[in-house]
Amino acid sequence: MTTEAKAGAAGPRALAWQRRRRSAVRFWQQYRTHRAGLVGLAGLALFALLALTAPLTVGTDVSSVTGAPGRPMESPSAEFPLGTDRFGRDLLGLLVWGSRVSLLVGLLAAALSVAIGTTVGVTAGHFKGAYATVLMRITDWFLVMPTLVLAIALATVLPRSLGTVVLAIGVTSWPTTARLVRAQTLAVESRPYIERAKALGGGHWHVMSRHVLPNVMPLVLAQTTLMISSSVLAEATLAFLGVSDPTVLSWGGLLQDAREAGAVSSGNWWYLVPPGIAIAVVALAFTLCGRAVESVLNPRLGVGR
Amino acid sequence: MTADAPSASAVKAAAPAVRGQRARTATGYLRYGAGKVGGAAVSLLAVLATGFFLFRLIPGDPVKTMTGGRPISAEQLAAYREEFGLDLPLWQQFTDYCGKALTGDLGTSYQFRAPVVDKISEALPNTLLLTGTAFVLYTLLGIVLGTRSAWRHGGLGDRLNTGLALTLYSIPSFWLGLLLIIVFSVGVGPVPGLFPTGGMESGGEEGFAYVLDVAHHLILPVVTLVAVEYGQTLLVARSALLDEMGSDYLTTARAKGLRDDLVRRRHAVPNALLPTVTLVFVNLGRTVAGVILVETVFSWPGLGGLFYQALSVPDLPLVQGLFLFFAAAVIVMNTLADLVYPLLDPRVGR
Amino acid sequence: MSTREQHSRARRLLAAAAAALTVSAGLAPHQAAAADGDKVLTVAVAQSVDSLSPFLAQRLLSTSIHRLMYEYLTNYDPGDAHAVPALATGWKSSPDKLTWTYTIRSDSKWSDGQRVTAQDAAWTFQKIMTDEGAATANGSFVGNFREVSAPSPTELVIRLKKPQATMTALDVPIVPKHVWEKVGDFSKFNNDNDFPVVGNGPFILTDYKPDSYVRLKANKDFWRGAPKFDELVFRYYKDQDAAVAALRKGEVSFVAGSPSLTPAQADSLKGEKNIHVNDAPGRRFYALATNPGARAANGQKFGDGHPTLLDERVRHALFRAVDRETVIDRVFQGHAVRGEGYIPPRFSSYFWKPADGQELSYDPAEAARLLDQAGYKKNGDGKRLGKDGKPITYRVLCHATDPNDKAIGQYLEEWWGELGIGVTLDCLDNVTDPWLAGTYDLAFDGWSVNPDPDFVLSIHTCAALPATPKDTGATDNFICDKRYDELYARQLAEYDPAERADIVKQMQSRLYDLGYMNVMAYPNAVEAYRTDHIKSITTMPEKAGNIYGQDGYWSWWSATPADSDASSGGSGSAGVVIGVVAGAALLVAAGVFFALRRRATAEDRE
Repeated sequence: MTTEAKAGAAGPRALAWQRRRRSAVRFWQQYRTHRAGLVGLAGLALFALLALTAPLTVGTDVSSVTGAPGRPMESPSAEFPLGTDRFGRDLLGLLVWGSRVSLLVGLLAAALSVAIGTTVGVTAGHFKGAYATVLMRITDWFLVMPTLVLAIALATVLPRSLGTVVLAIGVTSWPTTARLVRAQTLAVESRPYIERAKALGGGHWHVMSRHVLPNVMPLVLAQTTLMISSSVLAEATLAFLGVSDPTVLSWGGLLQDAREAGAVSSGNWWYLVPPGIAIAVVALAFTLCGRAVESVLNPRLGVGR
Repeated sequence: MTADAPSASAVKAAAPAVRGQRARTATGYLRYGAGKVGGAAVSLLAVLATGFFLFRLIPGDPVKTMTGGRPISAEQLAAYREEFGLDLPLWQQFTDYCGKALTGDLGTSYQFRAPVVDKISEALPNTLLLTGTAFVLYTLLGIVLGTRSAWRHGGLGDRLNTGLALTLYSIPSFWLGLLLIIVFSVGVGPVPGLFPTGGMESGGEEGFAYVLDVAHHLILPVVTLVAVEYGQTLLVARSALLDEMGSDYLTTARAKGLRDDLVRRRHAVPNALLPTVTLVFVNLGRTVAGVILVETVFSWPGLGGLFYQALSVPDLPLVQGLFLFFAAAVIVMNTLADLVYPLLDPRVGR
Repeated sequence: MSTREQHSRARRLLAAAAAALTVSAGLAPHQAAAADGDKVLTVAVAQSVDSLSPFLAQRLLSTSIHRLMYEYLTNYDPGDAHAVPALATGWKSSPDKLTWTYTIRSDSKWSDGQRVTAQDAAWTFQKIMTDEGAATANGSFVGNFREVSAPSPTELVIRLKKPQATMTALDVPIVPKHVWEKVGDFSKFNNDNDFPVVGNGPFILTDYKPDSYVRLKANKDFWRGAPKFDELVFRYYKDQDAAVAALRKGEVSFVAGSPSLTPAQADSLKGEKNIHVNDAPGRRFYALATNPGARAANGQKFGDGHPTLLDERVRHALFRAVDRETVIDRVFQGHAVRGEGYIPPRFSSYFWKPADGQELSYDPAEAARLLDQAGYKKNGDGKRLGKDGKPITYRVLCHATDPNDKAIGQYLEEWWGELGIGVTLDCLDNVTDPWLAGTYDLAFDGWSVNPDPDFVLSIHTCAALPATPKDTGATDNFICDKRYDELYARQLAEYDPAERADIVKQMQSRLYDLGYMNVMAYPNAVEAYRTDHIKSITTMPEKAGNIYGQDGYWSWWSATPADSDASSGGSGSAGVVIGVVAGAALLVAAGVFFALRRRATAEDRE
């Protein structure tokens, strides 16, 4: 894992790997018993597949406005199962294509959020003292901030782009993770072997990276999964409020397009309903996975059983 | 929006923040309370500063924007800057702003040329009506369904309940609102349009007819808010009660031969209720997000709509004022919850 | 804690919640109800009121309302928009054109019973001239006034510094002196405290609730005759879809789009019974403006427009790669007319069309040739390079609130991408700042053209440039061309209409050739109303014209109610009853459901 491990001790390293593999297998065996978790996982796999294969299935031209194959706002037909958008593009193709941006933003924003949260949580748990107090006060402050207000403000201040959306979501949604990770860190650091590691001369970095981090990793994983769910929703929300990049095709952007084209009052449900369902399904799938992971890690929570 | 994933452990993580240490004596409580109030004051100051500096970053010269690009001389522009205090150095603007904000003066809106406080107090009752109604309903609904779910956890009812809650939780609120408008306002097929498409009143009604009219306008926005928000409460209540159910005293109570129903209502639920209600307050920030979206979709004349309108100008004093107001409201509510919590906790001092 | 205590606590909580709901429902102030049987015309608008003071209001909604509340000196004929009498019954100018004398009508009364006199008009203009706070909205009208006086109650005299052609187009609401002289600070007074507001127009403002509605009642004593509807309500809908849905349901009688209904909305409404879609030739042009290098009148340059755009061949190439047919067909879906000259064809006497050889028709191959000729060749990646060796990318400024900007922007990305030119679409809620600072390369631009084109022509003259970079000029996009200016001066001095029209056409030709202002389309005004509420309504121009945002009060003043009493608001009480009953039924059903479930589970457990 780290460079020091290379030095020679192949034995302990192999052991550690074995232990990890065993726990992974155990984890999967328990996860398998959560039906909702499996359903969520299947849904995710499906959407991941759709997004990754989109260039092959719908082609990169699907979002081209000049090469739009249909008339604007056509209703569903054999040629266009979900009708066409205001440019005459195939909505089914756009829906598939849009999954790429929505999932990407969801993943990146969640990654950013969890990365901040984990860093804050681990360091606050490890160092304690004034540093931790200040950090946790900031965390608490962010926790009660109206996040959407903050995110809109950030998105308005920065230029309109996907990066801005990722940043706005990531920077406003990390406090929960920070709290969780800090609690876990405190629990881990109270164990005797940490004392031992410190006594043997392990520095801060050693303790945090070799002992604390591996132990909070499962929790971070669960948290990431859940955070993706809310990030996908947040992306859609920001796109709907028009603070996202209007030329980038995402599910939220499609909804915003539909609304601007007047689909709601014109009864063009095929423009409006599918992107919303896609957002809901993906958000739900990530939530189900996250809850299953959580309950495997901590059965006492009694989630989903 | 991004506040919290519907996770059981997220709830637990937030809990210590709210509960703090348990106050076992009166002086202990006072010290605890003073700490919480002090913390809130610091938070409010931080909000004050954030509101000021964050929105200063929005590109755009407020004065040129205010004059809408009309031909205007440099002297006139300078006069406007002076009138709104924009010619002063930033730090001085900041101290002026802080001083005024502390005395309840949030400045004058650029676009409406009216005091920000007036604009807020105009829209506040409308937002309170919408949020208050939804808040009460989704909290009650969440607690009732959540405790029920937990008590019979694993059963069909629990699975249905949790499943529905999670699904609704995953739906974008603005999208749900639009669909509700299509189905219940415009009408689809045999369903007639039962509710107004937006706004808060038809105008021209009086007395009881007016109350009915407002209630009629209120239904769809409230349904939307409740639908997307109750899931969180449900999950919190459910997990709090599940937690409680593992406790020894409940096992004892059941072993005593007390009726199941009685054990639930008398012992388990009250204990689970407090953390739930407290956490509902923590999640008020999320509700603010929901309100902005729902007010936009349903043309509700409240603070959320005002905020969005102000942001696009940008009407700095109004944006600042609203930001301050939203954040302060959440902080104050949270602090109240913190202060009341130890007094109500049945495991403390009774 | 006993069970009973628990129960009573829950009940108290419920009661409190219910009380809270009732109280908060009652919190909002009540307003006077309309008398039964009144004919109400409800108009859905997408704009909120910025101010009800005619000295401050600038938004279209607010100024339209002021048209209804206060008479102006003159009005425009609904047929051909020539000046017709309003508060002034006649006007004449001295031979040197520096003194204008208006005869004020004696049969107009303020709604509080006082007579309207020339004093009121004089006071209004004097106030705007002397109080900076009162000059916010209409200061530009009096900039050239030397003196305004009222020698008698029926005579208003305005002396000018230099001749001005627009003296019969002074769109300034005349307010009652005896009411307004009590106002202290005009820059803060919003005219929304005392209802009804004293006025003399066809309607009297009776009620206003911010972000909700503006109510006006018919002025039965209006000198031109009372409006046929008893009440006029402008109701605010943030969301255009909600407004259209409200029209479908009959909650409102008229929907004015912002700025027009979308093609999808128009198409779906066309099939509807009792709804008429008014698809009228618009008075707007929709153009692609190019930044010619922002500069001030003192010669100082500012902004950072792309240097390649200073080459006329580049500008022409860009426009030749814009397929206006596609814009009309796909973006406006037929609800617009293909762009030609600067002034829309609706103003037929000024409308100009490029000759065959002059037209910049859609021809991507020619566009590529022009760019090659100008020396901007493609590199290995197919990108054209500027003189600095960097690939050319233009920033196109777009209004985030305008779907058409965003849609056409996407076409531009692809059209110009084919040419080897990159596009960054800069969509902002508020474009004023980069616009005034000249920090853009191209921008979507559009103006509403008045019957007299003087204003839209004047914004492209050198005189309109800001004095220094710190000032804000009247200029649209910093165009300053000597030949254009000469023509502009000539048309101003020309009193023969045909001659003047000819010069205006020459100006448009010049503007077209310069390539700084490329008109893509003339969007139609697409609006809709319920024929079971409104029997007839005057459009402007009367033949194929628009209804909302007219230059006069003709539409609302002339609107005749339909015979059926299904006038808007009628669905209100019935709807309320149905809705409340449905809501209550839902609650009861839920209650029964839970009660049953509860009993069932309780039995299970026993």
